[in-house]
Amino acid sequence: MDADGGLLRGTVDVLILKAVTWGPRHGYAIAEWIKAVTDSDLLVEEGPLYTALHRLEKRGWLVGEWGYSENNRRAKYYELSRAGRLQLRAEVSAWERYARAVGKALSAASPQPA
Amino acid sequence: MRRVFRLGFGRGHVQREVDEELSFHLQMRERKLVAEGMDPDAARAEALRQFGDFPAVRDSCVTLDEDRERTAVRANHLDAIWQDLRYALRMLRRNPGFTAVVVLTLALGIGANTAIFTLIDAVILRNIPVAHPEQLVAIGNTARTGSLSQGSPRTDLFSYPLYRDLRERNTVLTGLAASGRTPRLDMRVGGGELYHPRARFVSSNYFEVLGVTAGAGRTFDVNADAAIGGAPVMVISDGYWTRRFDRDPRVLGQTVTINGAGFTIIGVTRPGYQGEIVGQNTDVWVPLSMQHVLMPHQMMLDDRLTSFLLLIGRMKPGVTLDGARTELGTSIRQILEDNATKDFPASVARESEVFISSGARGFSRVRQVYSVPLYTLMAGVALLLVIICSNVANLLLARAIARGREMGIRLAIGAARSRIVRQLLTECALLAFLSASAGLLLAWWGSKLLLRLASDGPTVIPLDLRIDLPVLGFTAAITILAVGFFGLFPALRASRVTLATTLRAQGRSVVNGGGRRQRFGGGKLLIAGQVAVSLVLLVGAALLVRSLRGMQNADAGLDRDHLLMVSVDALDRGYRGERLRALIRELEQRTARIPGVVAMTFSENGIFSGTESFSSFQIPGFTARTTDDTTTAEDNVGPGYVRAIGAHLLEGREFTPQDDQRSPGVALVNAAMAKFYFPGQSAIGKRILISDTSLEIIGVLADVRDHALTAPPERRFYRPFLQFQIGGEPATLNVAIRTAGDPAKAIAAVRDALKATDPQLATDYINPLSSLMMESISQERLVARLATAFGALALLLAAIGLYGVLTYAVNRRTNEIGLRVALGAQRQDVIRMVLGDALKLVLIGMVIGAPLAIAATRMLRSQLHDIRPADPASLLFALLVLTMSAIVAAMLPARRAARLDPLAALRAD
Repeated sequence: MDADGGLLRGTVDVLILKAVTWGPRHGYAIAEWIKAVTDSDLLVEEGPLYTALHRLEKRGWLVGEWGYSENNRRAKYYELSRAGRLQLRAEVSAWERYARAVGKALSAASPQPA
Repeated sequence: MRRVFRLGFGRGHVQREVDEELSFHLQMRERKLVAEGMDPDAARAEALRQFGDFPAVRDSCVTLDEDRERTAVRANHLDAIWQDLRYALRMLRRNPGFTAVVVLTLALGIGANTAIFTLIDAVILRNIPVAHPEQLVAIGNTARTGSLSQGSPRTDLFSYPLYRDLRERNTVLTGLAASGRTPRLDMRVGGGELYHPRARFVSSNYFEVLGVTAGAGRTFDVNADAAIGGAPVMVISDGYWTRRFDRDPRVLGQTVTINGAGFTIIGVTRPGYQGEIVGQNTDVWVPLSMQHVLMPHQMMLDDRLTSFLLLIGRMKPGVTLDGARTELGTSIRQILEDNATKDFPASVARESEVFISSGARGFSRVRQVYSVPLYTLMAGVALLLVIICSNVANLLLARAIARGREMGIRLAIGAARSRIVRQLLTECALLAFLSASAGLLLAWWGSKLLLRLASDGPTVIPLDLRIDLPVLGFTAAITILAVGFFGLFPALRASRVTLATTLRAQGRSVVNGGGRRQRFGGGKLLIAGQVAVSLVLLVGAALLVRSLRGMQNADAGLDRDHLLMVSVDALDRGYRGERLRALIRELEQRTARIPGVVAMTFSENGIFSGTESFSSFQIPGFTARTTDDTTTAEDNVGPGYVRAIGAHLLEGREFTPQDDQRSPGVALVNAAMAKFYFPGQSAIGKRILISDTSLEIIGVLADVRDHALTAPPERRFYRPFLQFQIGGEPATLNVAIRTAGDPAKAIAAVRDALKATDPQLATDYINPLSSLMMESISQERLVARLATAFGALALLLAAIGLYGVLTYAVNRRTNEIGLRVALGAQRQDVIRMVLGDALKLVLIGMVIGAPLAIAATRMLRSQLHDIRPADPASLLFALLVLTMSAIVAAMLPARRAARLDPLAALRAD
């Protein structure tokens, strides 16, 4: 699978945004969450996740901030900015529309549109 | 999560942060794998494997972060500047009085400087609007645009034959054009109204050499001066086309009458071109070949002794000005040598200096006359700006002290000191920007006003005054300098503010002498500086005024208040020989009948007419060291001239009607000439040899200031106007009429008498001598007037500055003064104390200023006449005026201090 592919990249971005909706998380926690919720199917390698995190930070959707982790180690936490929250909302609704459309198409029973 | 760090700064921190973030991830993953039972070494390898291409990810993260940081820093800067600006605007709006005073005085200073610079730009600095002006070379004295010299060749003005020779001989120019004065033109269009356009005789290649094209029609044919009188055509300027012909295209090809001859208008120059003479626009260009047609009594084109042309050439590519100067100078000297005359021998031709300079800025008499005055005024307004800046600095300083608490608080809540200084500088820059904008408006108006003041008559000197790039650059430069000056003091102070002193300063201080001085040392320094600069300006103004007074009251050696000068066009109208004598007789009879007229006489050059003649001669027994020694001014005068103009005959007799063309040649000399050639003996009976003519000196008259008040009378001799056959014929006729009362009252009657004699002789050139004299020093009067205005302004500003500082000091010392009064000090003691403080400052300023003034006024030397720069009276006057102003300025705060109620004063903060 192409790790930087368009579809996948967009998917990772939206998953990252989703991962931080419950509060600031560091990169490892985000990776763990994505692996957990996707059964490790989407994130084959963890490196590209960081490229995505920094890209999203540059776009202003995430705000990076240094803090201390549960085991008292310095870690970089990512928080959803206002712009990020709006972006997530837009992407979620786009995903839903897309999934509905593709799902409808794939579950079609006859060659003629209904 | 606890937040503990801000984003770091400095190079490399981005890499460090990325590394830290990624290694945290790897360690967490590793730990999890170990917890799941993996061997630590294998766990590390597995964590890296799961991560993927570590170096690539690290690089892209670093790049992304660096980009983000750069953008953030830039936004941060912009944001800070915007914040500073908004804050500054708020502060200025909160103190409208302060803002208005600062902006208005600064605008005045910047405006005055810009106005003078606008004139300097237009008169001195700017190139003429032609193609590649830097390639042009000017040959001749560029100030002699209106000169005509006859009798001997020159090296500052040239004859037509010399021009033709040089044009053929030189190898450094692609083209050489000539331009010379014309007589007055009487132009009629289709029998209509009479116009007197300003015209130049130019060579046919003039427009081609300068690269000036026609906006309509065409310019001259290059062969237009091939045949004398063969090209009755003219080109008019776009400005004249607009002014006189309303841009009517039908004038092209139309024939007009000039001085009785028909000329065809063949073209209009492109818009914007007003001729090659700065400060004197040309309306009409006529080919040189038509000189004889316009001046029928004079054929100048084949005469090597008649010089009236200035030359302008375009250098070939690669030729430098120095190269052109050498080659052209050599060629001109060679041409003069080849055509040497008795009065201008080959040796003189070889030694003479030829005037060759860059032609980029064209010719200009205005430039020569006004260069020094303009630079003088520039120095004056620059000093004025210094004083204004000191006042502004003082105001800002006082405000900075008043805002000490605000600064302290801002420091206390963690504002960076540099940020506070930047905030103050932003305020200064904003003030300066507002002032510079207002100043530019002021300058636009002021430079036009100055030009009007500088112009003698009703017509304004035609100069293209515009706020162009150099002017804007100048304004920006002085504004930045000004900000640097007046912003420095409060900024320095702010940078010295510490929390401790600010908090302490809020406490009341009864015994606080030393502290006070420390806190306002800068302000007092500025006041002393202001006094010093004001002194320089005042001394300069006093000198100029005294010099002007001296000239105005100088004994001119004649009856200046009862003479009416009339310039009569008799010779151009064809009066010569017996006809001219008859005309003079008739004029004598007619003017004698005018009530109040006491006497009438005439001369060739007149008095203060602007026309001068010089003659070269030999004196038997006198050995000349330089050619100047045998050249003096001369005039041809009528019988009874000396008595008629109110001059004094010292020895011998003056001319009578019997001294005419049939009698032996005679001459009168002035005292300066008699003393120069015949020291210690009588000049009567001595002889002057001019070419082949011998003149006997028959009288000596006291020196007369005939043409200039700005210089002491020079050597001069006079010959009888009526001895025509000796030397050339007089070129002009100037009549002088002596009246018993105000000569201006006779003007109308004299004009009528002329008209009755011959309607063609009607003239407007009838002026009382006193007004001609005033006109001759109009430039000095203007400079003295402006210098006085600047001096007064400087004085006023310095006084206001002193008043401000003293008022401030008295306010700060309220409880000290109260304590003194409570301890028994009298009102006059308090007044004496405050006045003493003020005078101490003034004295310091004077001690600094007096030597400065003496040094500075040396630069005025060329502007001063009959007075030395180190004039004690001027210095004394300036010191006195300054001291008086200081006392007046100090009196108000002193009286305020003396009226203080001791109890209230002690309670005051």
